[in-house]
Amino acid sequence: MRSAHAKFEANGIKLYAVSYDDPKALREFAEAQGITYPLLSDQDSTVIAQYGILNTQISPDDALIYGIPYPGVFVCDEDGLVVSKFFHDSYEKRDSPEAFIDAALGHIQIEEEVPQTSGGDEGIAITAAVRGGNSSLRQGIIRNLVVRFALKDGLHLYGEPVPTGLTATQVTILGPQDLQCLPARYPPTTPLYHEIMDVNLNVWSDEVTIVVPFYPAGDLATEAVAPATTSASIDFEVRYQACNEMECLLPRTERFSIDLPLDVVDVPSLSIHRGHGQREGNYDSTPAMRRLLWRKIRTNPLRLLKLMWKTQQLKRSARKGHDG
Amino acid sequence: MERDNLGFDAPAPVDHPVRASLPAGAGTGPAIGERLPDFELPDAFGRQIRFHDDRGNAKAALVFYRSAVW
Repeated sequence: MRSAHAKFEANGIKLYAVSYDDPKALREFAEAQGITYPLLSDQDSTVIAQYGILNTQISPDDALIYGIPYPGVFVCDEDGLVVSKFFHDSYEKRDSPEAFIDAALGHIQIEEEVPQTSGGDEGIAITAAVRGGNSSLRQGIIRNLVVRFALKDGLHLYGEPVPTGLTATQVTILGPQDLQCLPARYPPTTPLYHEIMDVNLNVWSDEVTIVVPFYPAGDLATEAVAPATTSASIDFEVRYQACNEMECLLPRTERFSIDLPLDVVDVPSLSIHRGHGQREGNYDSTPAMRRLLWRKIRTNPLRLLKLMWKTQQLKRSARKGHDG
Repeated sequence: MERDNLGFDAPAPVDHPVRASLPAGAGTGPAIGERLPDFELPDAFGRQIRFHDDRGNAKAALVFYRSAVW
């Protein structure tokens, strides 16, 4: 996110981040990581609760982690109204910052430098690109396959539902194995009544952009084992049928592939994960952890016992993992 | 270490609450079209930030994350 901050600024979008950490910890973190956007400290999780996103699966007895939110991002317009929000079923899936920028601007950019390919003919130009971060495959990080059709005047494509005999536009990721896809996002269609056929059609004209979010799972870009290769090819298929008012072209299926670098973070070998900063080796969060603990334990001394018990348990299972 | 289906290793067991997923049907805060509730919080440098005032007339992304510390 910090490397993308300049892109937010360039597009006039302000960036804020809220967590339950104390201001001192946030200051150390911001300085170590060079973060210049506001890191806001919601120590007693009031705002997290006010927003209705407090993680209630964690017991209030949990000395360390009670008070965290279900992580997510809200994007608002100039009036503060939510235009888009990003929550996932797992905290391990994270959107690329470009997704928030596109949401705020209401337009998906395809920058020249991103990996892309093209296709189409007869008045249909297809551009397909992978957008998000450096377009790499990175564990848990969602990138967007963006497929854009530019249609000659008078041509249109179909969205679902279509009458029998016509082909709705569809983008499908075929591989590699272990690439997980989220549901494709198709923009709203325009209704079109076709007099001769006496049917209602749902069409796009001029320009239509379809987005398929995806992320690597399993061993594809895992941090847990060294990758065997440095890149992977994402294969996908685009089906469509273009028509004008008088006639339809034959339905077409085009196959594409785009090479993406694998981005595997070299995680230091720690028996117990001790925080993002330590993973990157430039921020020691141990004192902040200690403060966080005391803050929690002061309000409920029983938490200390529970934490000691839990730490023992974690150490045991970490040891077991290393031996096994 | 236990590896989950996304390929992540972590010392906590897969079913530990720290690794818990967003439960199906759980709320995710203000809906699209609603105004984000205003709030005031200190930033890393002790400044009090009132969200909508600070934002002024700019669009914004408001990120809720778990922790900078762990």
